[in-house]
Amino acid sequence: MALTEHKKPEQPDSGILVVNQSRPTKVNCWSCGAMRAAHFCQECGKVQPPTPVDYFTFFGLPFRLNLEPEKLEGEFYALSRHLHPDINAINSDREQQWSLEKSSQLNDAYRTLKDPITRTEYLLRLQGVQLEEQSKAATEEARRTGKIKKQVVPPDLLEQVFELNMQLEEMRMNKKMGEPDRTLERELQDSRKQLQDKYNGLLQELQAAWNQWDGLIDRAEQGGSVLEEDRIAVRDTMVDVLNRRSYLSNLLRDIDEVLES
Amino acid sequence: MAYSTKVLDHYSNPRNVGSLDKNSAEVGTGLVGAPECGDVMKLQIKVNPATNIIEDAKFKTFGCGSAIASSSLATEWVKGKTVDEALTIRNTDIVKELSLPPVKIHCSVLAEDAIRAAIGDWKKKNGQHSQPQAQPVEQRA
Ligand code: FES
Repeated sequence: MALTEHKKPEQPDSGILVVNQSRPTKVNCWSCGAMRAAHFCQECGKVQPPTPVDYFTFFGLPFRLNLEPEKLEGEFYALSRHLHPDINAINSDREQQWSLEKSSQLNDAYRTLKDPITRTEYLLRLQGVQLEEQSKAATEEARRTGKIKKQVVPPDLLEQVFELNMQLEEMRMNKKMGEPDRTLERELQDSRKQLQDKYNGLLQELQAAWNQWDGLIDRAEQGGSVLEEDRIAVRDTMVDVLNRRSYLSNLLRDIDEVLES
Repeated sequence: MAYSTKVLDHYSNPRNVGSLDKNSAEVGTGLVGAPECGDVMKLQIKVNPATNIIEDAKFKTFGCGSAIASSSLATEWVKGKTVDEALTIRNTDIVKELSLPPVKIHCSVLAEDAIRAAIGDWKKKNGQHSQPQAQPVEQRA
């Protein structure tokens, strides 16, 4: 029910936007007994045992999608330095082991949160969305109802993807035969521009959705109530944008590959 | 990951690649995509209006080897079947026939979706509902 059903993502959360509930409660330092910070004791500085937390919590961040990359990077380097094996060489085996485990947790967390797209995907997964399963779920729905399966992207986008793939195939052939078709080449360049614009538009849509999402988080953190419909609506907008984005980014990549070959 | 020999066979020698006239009333077209990998598949069927038998099928797939093999196999399987029989083809049948590994299951799902979409398009053109028909009450002898 919390935002961070990290261990059981197959269970869709029941959707209450409770932000703090899933945070690990503060525990005392295993060594000196003082209240500890997330990774190192504030009093004696000892590394603390790893806990299975989500990546936002690992960095002590709220579940907001807008974040400052410099800050995240700074935090990453500071933590890596502290967890470095050379620094921990004089510590007990147990502490060395913890440092090692935390280091790898840190790397995963940083890699995931650093990139805006993987960060969004990750948050959606925490929200119980399984991006890989949507298509299968829609197929099952279609079987059950006997209706045509609802594609996760609009039909005209699929149409465009198909047509462009046809052109790319032709272009590849031409190039292989050593007679590139200039008209086709120009068409592809035009399409590329259009697609790039579309792509940029999608990123703006995504940014808008992020802002909405963060607004909900802020409201919840200030103790305000958040409507379930609002949460679902923003979430689904993000899923939709990401689906369309993945087609476009593949196309852009393929066009570049063909034009530059 | 090694492809099974059946996949390789369909991949290097795909059956029924091409297209049918999508404006013909006898032709149904299904265009589907897998958001996971961005692949797209088009499958078309030509149905005999008198018998509802699928007389021809063509496909064109931009995707991985398993998707190409799945759609190639799908066109082979639907040919000669009635529309309703074709609707019973499941992606699991394709997985079995081609020995697809778990990571390639979505490729076979794409083929099932494509069959369903093509049939749906044909039904729409011919004024049939794509809802499942109520099972006729069996006549007792
Ligand atoms: S990997 Fe995309 S259809 Fe097979």
